[in-house]
Amino acid sequence: MPYLEEALRVLLGNKVRSLLTVTGLIIGVAAVIAIQVLGNGMAGAVSGALGTLNDHAFILFPNAQQGDFQRAAIRLGELDDIKATVPGVVEALPAGQARDLVHVGHAQYRLGVYGDSDQRFNIVPFAQGAAFTPQDVASKAKVCILTDAAYKKLFPDGGDALGKSIYIGNGRFVVVGVQAPPRTGILNATFGGDVAIPYTAYIAKYVRHGTIFAARFVLADDAPLTETEAAVIKRLRELHKNDKNSQYQTFDKASFASSIGSIFGAMTMIVGLIGAVSLLVAGIGIMNIMLVSVTERTREIGVRKAIGATRTQILLQFFIEALALSTVGCLIGLAIGLSIGWAVNNFAIVKLTGTVAPIPWVQATIIAVGFATVVTLAFGTYPAYRAAGLDPIEALRYE
Amino acid sequence: MNDIAIDIRDVTRTYKMGEVEVHALRGVSFTVQRGEYVAIMGPSGSGKSTMMNVIGCLDRPSTGTYLLDGIDVSKLDDNQLAEIRLKKLGFIFQGFNLLARTDAIKNVGLPLFYAGLPARVRNERAIAALTTVGLGDRTHHKPNELSGGQQQRVAIARALINDPTVLLADEPTGNLDTATSADVLALFSSLHAEGRTIIMVTHDEEIAGNAARVIRLRDGLVVSDGPSGQKIA
Repeated sequence: MPYLEEALRVLLGNKVRSLLTVTGLIIGVAAVIAIQVLGNGMAGAVSGALGTLNDHAFILFPNAQQGDFQRAAIRLGELDDIKATVPGVVEALPAGQARDLVHVGHAQYRLGVYGDSDQRFNIVPFAQGAAFTPQDVASKAKVCILTDAAYKKLFPDGGDALGKSIYIGNGRFVVVGVQAPPRTGILNATFGGDVAIPYTAYIAKYVRHGTIFAARFVLADDAPLTETEAAVIKRLRELHKNDKNSQYQTFDKASFASSIGSIFGAMTMIVGLIGAVSLLVAGIGIMNIMLVSVTERTREIGVRKAIGATRTQILLQFFIEALALSTVGCLIGLAIGLSIGWAVNNFAIVKLTGTVAPIPWVQATIIAVGFATVVTLAFGTYPAYRAAGLDPIEALRYE
Repeated sequence: MNDIAIDIRDVTRTYKMGEVEVHALRGVSFTVQRGEYVAIMGPSGSGKSTMMNVIGCLDRPSTGTYLLDGIDVSKLDDNQLAEIRLKKLGFIFQGFNLLARTDAIKNVGLPLFYAGLPARVRNERAIAALTTVGLGDRTHHKPNELSGGQQQRVAIARALINDPTVLLADEPTGNLDTATSADVLALFSSLHAEGRTIIMVTHDEEIAGNAARVIRLRDGLVVSDGPSGQKIA
């Protein structure tokens, strides 16, 4: 492509100017692409952090802003009532955890103990053993499941922990399961403590006066999440005689993901706006330099026309120059944007979540190509048109 | 094959400069045979630049006809004129007007680029043209690496590359010293001897003396047309 060769020679003949011209474009493209990569990383981070949370489950707790959480405190009997009366609820259990001394041999640690059911709220896979059985729950069995962190503390030498005994407070519990290490990093949402015991045993051991702060509900697979949450809250408020201070809120994977999604949506819009502004500024910069270039090269354009170049050929030459400028700018921007995104993903987000998001190559490339095309068409056309329209006699006389 | 390269009949050219009408050419007629070497002379304001632009198909006559190689070019549109300039004319300027930062071979090949020929053909013919003007060993020099005379010879090679009907030179020695001017004029003479048609615009009697025929313009009219009297070798 001789036009391209010609354009590159002109642009390389004035490297500093060319580079300064496309700086705005580089910054704009780099910013937009970096945010794309980060958005992807954060979205991956959220699904990673919540990945082990059961889709058909939610946590319910008093809404302290709208009500009085003392008044709203949930009683154990109410959990049984909800489980019996609200359709779709297959399990209701306390959500809290108790800090207690846990020891194996001479090693002892203060760990978080929580209640769990055979209907699992948190579906972390097992490294050893399996979940509680319905019998464990019904009989308040003295069995326990360790998280990976607790297992590593209590069994520093590793090995098979199943059937081994640990002491929680003054009670002896037999290990029936060890969870696999979590996929996630700092933002690790285990929604529990370190050591799980059947929630019936938890209630007997830790719950005083029959009241709990928050509850977990596990639903049948076909139960609609939002409606069931509303039904549970309605029933609970009935049980509290619709007292205006008994207000509740829920947390589940879907609503959390959608609220994160709307944050990203807003962020993407803002960055899109910044991108549009930088596109405009970059485009004007390119147009300005192209116009200067046309003026500087008026005589050259005259010569080209005199030796037989048509209007279209001159137009094409300057258009390709603008295209080459914006393409180079967008490619540099693409490289910088991907590098920034990649670096932040790999050094920051991975620390939070343990997951590395894939780079959105396709999106990033589309953005860069789109920017280059729009800038060239919007801002390269006019200077090229002006060059093509020059009168050769006037142009040749230009000093 | 037409023996008449240029046939200009009653050509006028009138400009509007604001409110004032400027009659640059007031009815000029002459013909140039193939192989002629003609100088067009005249003081400034005589219309010789306008004459040059019309002959060079950069400008159209207001009235009258102009046949170049048998083609009436007075009514052609911009694109058609560009094609005529590409195929039938070779321009040589006072200021050389080579592309800076571009080596001789690319400068010379530029018209062929606009003619849409591939790089291999362009380069072959550019080397041949540069050899004709005695610069076969300077093909990859850039204008700033060449002397003024050499630059003008590169420009002549560029004008020759399309094998044009007419070579059109506008004060070709205006930027050169006497010795270099003599070289360039000698090159013109040898091109003329090979059968090239050359039209040279100048205000310098000595330079015009190199041509076989001189057309003198004054106030937009031909005041004399005949063989050059004082040939200086």
